Amino acid sequence: MTAAPAVDLRPAAPRGQHPGNLASQPSRSTRKRWFDGWGLLMLPLALFLLLVFVAPLALVLARSFTDPVTGLDNYRDFVSSSLYVDVLANTFRISGVVTLLTLVLGFPYAYLMTLATPFWRGVMLIVVLVPFWTSLLVRTFAWVLMLGDTGVVNQTLLGLGVVEEPIAMIRNSTGVIIGMVQVMLPYAVLPLFATMRSIDRRLLQAGEGLGARPMTAFWRIYAPLTLPGVAASCLLVFISSIGFYVTPALLGGPKDVMIGELIVQQLSGVLRWGFASALAVALLVVTAALLLLVARIVNVGKFMAGDR
Amino acid sequence: MRIGQLVTAVGVTGAMVMLSACSGSNAAEDGKTLTIVAWGGEDQKAHVRATAEAWAEENGITIKQDSPTDYAKLRAQVESGKVSWGAVEVEPNFAHTACDNGWAEKLDSSIDTSLLKDVEVTECAVPVLEYAFTIGYNTDTFAHDHPTTWAEFFDVEKFPGKRGFWKYATGAMFEAALLADGVKPEELYPLDIERAFEKLDTIKDQIVFYETGEQQQQLVSSGEAPLIQAWNGRIFSAAQAGQPVANEWNEHLVSYDQWIIPKGSAQAEVAQEWLAHYVKDLEGQAEYANATAYAPVSEGAMEFVDPEVAKELPTAPENAAKMSTVVDYAYWAEHYDEVSKRLSEWAAQ
Amino acid sequence: MRSRILVRAALAALATLTGIYLIAPVFFVVPTAFNDSPFLAFPPETWSLRWFGAYFADATWIASTLNSIKIGLLVTVLSSVLGTLAALAMVRGRYPVRAAVGGLVLAPILVPYVIVGLAVYAAFLRLGLTQTTLGFVLVHTALAVPFVVINVSSALYSYDRRLDLAAMNLGASPLTAFARVTLPIIAPSVAAGALFAFITSFDEVVTSIFLAGPDMTTLPVQMWSGVRVQIDPTVAAVSTLLLLITLSLFACAGLARALRNRRLNRG
Repeated sequence: MTAAPAVDLRPAAPRGQHPGNLASQPSRSTRKRWFDGWGLLMLPLALFLLLVFVAPLALVLARSFTDPVTGLDNYRDFVSSSLYVDVLANTFRISGVVTLLTLVLGFPYAYLMTLATPFWRGVMLIVVLVPFWTSLLVRTFAWVLMLGDTGVVNQTLLGLGVVEEPIAMIRNSTGVIIGMVQVMLPYAVLPLFATMRSIDRRLLQAGEGLGARPMTAFWRIYAPLTLPGVAASCLLVFISSIGFYVTPALLGGPKDVMIGELIVQQLSGVLRWGFASALAVALLVVTAALLLLVARIVNVGKFMAGDR
Repeated sequence: MRIGQLVTAVGVTGAMVMLSACSGSNAAEDGKTLTIVAWGGEDQKAHVRATAEAWAEENGITIKQDSPTDYAKLRAQVESGKVSWGAVEVEPNFAHTACDNGWAEKLDSSIDTSLLKDVEVTECAVPVLEYAFTIGYNTDTFAHDHPTTWAEFFDVEKFPGKRGFWKYATGAMFEAALLADGVKPEELYPLDIERAFEKLDTIKDQIVFYETGEQQQQLVSSGEAPLIQAWNGRIFSAAQAGQPVANEWNEHLVSYDQWIIPKGSAQAEVAQEWLAHYVKDLEGQAEYANATAYAPVSEGAMEFVDPEVAKELPTAPENAAKMSTVVDYAYWAEHYDEVSKRLSEWAAQ
Repeated sequence: MRSRILVRAALAALATLTGIYLIAPVFFVVPTAFNDSPFLAFPPETWSLRWFGAYFADATWIASTLNSIKIGLLVTVLSSVLGTLAALAMVRGRYPVRAAVGGLVLAPILVPYVIVGLAVYAAFLRLGLTQTTLGFVLVHTALAVPFVVINVSSALYSYDRRLDLAAMNLGASPLTAFARVTLPIIAPSVAAGALFAFITSFDEVVTSIFLAGPDMTTLPVQMWSGVRVQIDPTVAAVSTLLLLITLSLFACAGLARALRNRRLNRG
């Protein structure tokens, strides 16, 4: 309860400053207009995406109803086999776990970056950026060599007598997750760090000054202010993870196939473009439904889904 | 202030790059260009160097290279009528499919196929190279005795350890399983896929799948999977690099790639000319074999191959005698799709 | 106080482990680049610079690197501008069909790249945009722009708009208030978005494989071209070079800052 006045010191808390409050309330007279001044700024991007992205894509996705024959055959194929549904479920499961783990590792890392001296902050930033410059291909193969039964990690553990048998760390979900979390961590850390940096740390002191224990002050004052950053990084990591296929193909086992790999196989391998498009449409629909559901429940992702 | 400066700087740089980008233009295409498309990397460079460069210079043709072969790209080019590819290296099952669907040009009689194996030639395609699916094994793990038949490859009692297979329907694992189960090579096709899966079930927990040549090599040379259904050239180059691996040639399966010309290619004519040259270029094929350990496809080319390399090729007489069969890609053109799906389902169970 | 130190120590330990995890593959990649073997073998047996030589000797590698940098910079500029404007509209503005527009903005990351690749390839073939800088820039910008929008809009959500009102009360025009007050505060997020945009373009392989050809290719396409047969260790050399360049840029920036601080302190 002691935290409440502290929040009032700065009504930048997510709930206190809903965009609508400032933008729409004074404009009662313009309520019927479709666009206001700020809203017009959406037009360049929307037009750009419609032309460059949506138009070509629509032509291909339409093939799911026409290729090889007109009708719903491709969708019937999709639901008739447990393989595709299982793979889709597996894709969401792995993406969910990856999102959770990047948050668990990324949040403290980003927080420490805000506390560190400029030098150490620079070092931590470099460490986050390093993965960007090592080709995904080589990186994935590096994990194969490090985590395999005869890899560095298992050899060390065996040598130290920690384990008797090598631990299976690749060709299963563990391998996929280790590989993917490493790829996605920078995408979680940077938005978190950017958000945390803009939070006034004096709020914490104020909270403690008013008698809150440090932990309480952190969770009641600081953590809620990071929510937009948390939402941004989770959203980025989750939807980026869904499309992965190189990492699961090389580090996973036969049970860890993700939908991206199947789509590539259908599109470039067997040239069943209609079916590949149907898989993509199914993926889009399920993901959209899932995001809307999460947005409803958690109430933080709603800025992406629209909140008017 | 600093942000403002940054924005200005970035904007100016951007505008400059944009200008320079627009000023560059593609060289005009004339009929004397040939674009050769293959899987890429050092392999492709060696291939073009050995079999195309001299010919192109003699005939005043400019060679361009593109890689990797992408079937979706090929189909999109054919459908749009803007085909920029000339000769494309593909897997034979795709060559069949492309020919049936009208995505590939029919080859004309200027290409003399008399030096080629009949099974490797179709209306639309001639072979590029040959390779073999062998029993690759780790020579440290199996120093004294190693599997010499597919039946022994499947015998986990006698030869314990993980087995590597290419997770790819046409990667010959079904052929190997049926041979191991006692099917005669000449009765292999059409494949009894049920029976093959039953045989594979017996060693399922010992199977490790690989997806790339890199993984294949790493699995067998590290001993993680001391037995592997291998690509002969991959094992040979690993052995040359000092890794403890070798090919067992007995009961190997022969496979190959093919050249096709995409339908409607502006370069169709010059591509035909080059293919006509390619199938008679014994020395060029041999030079490529020396560089990559892929076997030449024309009769007589083996004479020009370095003896050290020759003994590691499926076309060497002593190896050829141990062949079980050539992979039947006409079968695979029809069944690839369905068997791929079953393989994924089976593997995921 | 005691517990605060403990918490900080635990945080530092966790962050150190995370850091090691992030850079672990580098300890593999860099030695591999100096390995004489034609395979990605580890640990190297014979050291050599042959893969760096192979990189600099091959005009295709150099040209594709320059192409990637050029495309990446253009994509960064274009997507930062488009994305920041869209984020402003999203957080502050009014426009119709918000949910659909929100989905539209996210869709480029979500639709599997191979489908996007085929779709734009089929369209660009007819428009003559394959193998052109413009073609790459358009596609990569579409893929990169969501990263900017997400980053910037999250910053705008935590932004206290009374700062703008204060500036405007003091006589600033809305545009000045935006440029002098809003932009500096959301700058870290714009920078993060811009960096993601650059990386998205610079690393993009799936759609680029479609758009590339003998007349124009990019670095990732070049890296992946031979992967079916054998990974070319030149890839490790390129990664190592990129790392060196990034590290030296950081070192220069750090040095410049240190020098400036010293001068400021003296003055």
